[in-house]
Amino acid sequence: MERLIALIFLAIFVDNFVFMRFFGICPFIGVSRKIETAIGMGMAVIFVMTMASLVTWFIYHLILEPFALQYLQTIVFILVIASLVQLVEIVLRKVSPALYQGLGIFLPLITTNCAILAVALLNILEEFTLIESIVFGFAAAVGFTLALVIMAGLRERMEFTSIPKAFQGSAITLITAGILSIAFMGFRGMMSL
Amino acid sequence: MKDSVRMAVTLMVIGIICAGVLGVVHGITAPIIEERQAQEFEAAIKEFLPQATQFEEEEIEGVAFVVGNNDAGELEGVVATVQVSGYNGTIEYNLAVDANGDILGLRIVSHEETPGIGDIIEEPEFQDQLIGKNVEDPVEIGNDVDTISGATFSTRPILLSVREVLNLIGGNFLGLEIEEEADLDLSTVEDGIYTGSAPGFSGDDIVVEVTVEGGKITKIEVIEHNDTPDVAAKAIAEMPNRIIEAQSIDVDLVSGATYSSEGIVNAVVDALSN
Amino acid sequence: MSLIKQDLTRGIIHENPTFRLLLGMCPTLAVTTLVINGLGMGLATTFVLICSNLVISAVRQLIPDRIRIPCFIMIIATFVTIAEMLLRAYQPDLYAALGVFIPLIVVNCIILGRAEAFASKNPLGRSLIDGLGYGVGFTLALLILSAVRELLGKGTLLGINIMGSAFEPMSIFGLPPGAFIALGLLLALMNVVSRKLGID
Repeated sequence: MERLIALIFLAIFVDNFVFMRFFGICPFIGVSRKIETAIGMGMAVIFVMTMASLVTWFIYHLILEPFALQYLQTIVFILVIASLVQLVEIVLRKVSPALYQGLGIFLPLITTNCAILAVALLNILEEFTLIESIVFGFAAAVGFTLALVIMAGLRERMEFTSIPKAFQGSAITLITAGILSIAFMGFRGMMSL
Repeated sequence: MKDSVRMAVTLMVIGIICAGVLGVVHGITAPIIEERQAQEFEAAIKEFLPQATQFEEEEIEGVAFVVGNNDAGELEGVVATVQVSGYNGTIEYNLAVDANGDILGLRIVSHEETPGIGDIIEEPEFQDQLIGKNVEDPVEIGNDVDTISGATFSTRPILLSVREVLNLIGGNFLGLEIEEEADLDLSTVEDGIYTGSAPGFSGDDIVVEVTVEGGKITKIEVIEHNDTPDVAAKAIAEMPNRIIEAQSIDVDLVSGATYSSEGIVNAVVDALSN
Repeated sequence: MSLIKQDLTRGIIHENPTFRLLLGMCPTLAVTTLVINGLGMGLATTFVLICSNLVISAVRQLIPDRIRIPCFIMIIATFVTIAEMLLRAYQPDLYAALGVFIPLIVVNCIILGRAEAFASKNPLGRSLIDGLGYGVGFTLALLILSAVRELLGKGTLLGINIMGSAFEPMSIFGLPPGAFIALGLLLALMNVVSRKLGID
């Protein structure tokens, strides 16, 4: 239990996916203009990432490992994630149109979000158990959402400030992310597994 | 209908070709990768034990050891691979000790410590204090070795684990008696009830009452302790039975209540040695 | 001739994946602590980009339109895994330094982007040149960023001390925040330069 709590804290704060490990930077820059869309994207990622952790864990330990096919890991994982996203999209549309309205437009973007594949690969690399994998996937996605929402809050405000011409657009976004990253460095050393 | 069949077939064909290509490349590269890893491992060991020609691997208490012997079959030294929690993530290092018990060197294999602060563990400034120290030296922080100020959380776990690893090496490979707890000699203990105490997790004493009948421990009762109740309860429930069953203090400790368990063992020793 | 030049320079200057399109940011930020790592990642990506562009261009008429994306992904993943195995066998230090970011080349949007936007519509030769251009553009960007970070963060370039002993390294540039800040500053610089040159 203590290990799981440590894992959650590590994944959200100490090794935050965006600010410390650089996973999912593209959606982080692309979808962080408004808090509303940031939350929508975050929820979609939490959903898919937790599912992907579960599914890829089973595929690796029940299929790839017994047959010594570990070298097919990358290709299998990316296909599984792509199909999973499709499946989630279809199921959501049928089961919960309201939720689909909210998350639908973000789902296709998620396939190329490297954070999802990264979680699947890290779960294997760190030799996590099934429960640890799911918890790690969920917590890492929460950390991603947190980063996205913080950034969106700042960018909404930055729209009303005058920024030097050269820094307008992505440049100021990256520098802001850098300063946030310094803040997140404060969590370093607070916990380890 | 025809369309979907064509799609499925195309996907499958591409999938099979891709897997086939990867299988071939894997077949070519896998032996090279394996050989390279073996070479690297050997090179790392050779760096410390240049005279050694024969190697044996052994794992003791979660630490991997490589024992190096020379052509004549004499012990050249031991290299341990140790993992400890640093300030940020795991630090893995090699510790090499020669046949006399002198530390040959320390080599950081991997770490995630802060560049410019914690990565001092890679520098001679930190490592040199260990080189040449003997297994029988104290190797105690503040005594003959020291943490680097400003990087205490990176250097302290290494120094603490070095002491433990030295004990393991000394006891298992060099044939030294390093604070090995002597097992109980019950034959000299007369029948009766003995009381003893030793510090538990809280630092306060755990007091036990040991009953000896006919040269055997028949009952162990914890009379007093100041440890976390829930945790200590596990140790109190298990440890006396384990000791009585084995008629020895060389028993497994209760995981999750290690300190309380150890306290009980030490208290029993204390009781019987009085 | 001008078509080749156009295909080649598009990826390097006008549509530089890092500085102009902001694609493939994850490896860009993560591995640029040292020039050698940046170079390694750039070359590995270029290898995958050229190979996947070639293959996709070659089979573009055989793949039904509706399943083209999964097919592209499979082809790309195959080359990424090949690159991973080769690095592991022949450049183990680089493999260890780049770590999980090698398999993550699969989701580098540049590669799928070129497959979808160019290779699936154009003949072999042009796809090759296009892949080469984007690969070189990406590698150059990684080189610039990693040179800045290594120089400021460690005072060295390719491990050789450049700044002299009087220079106190700003280790923040070797840490995660430094990646964001260095790239942000470079982007601002590129904005100024491209406006002066009238590239926009």
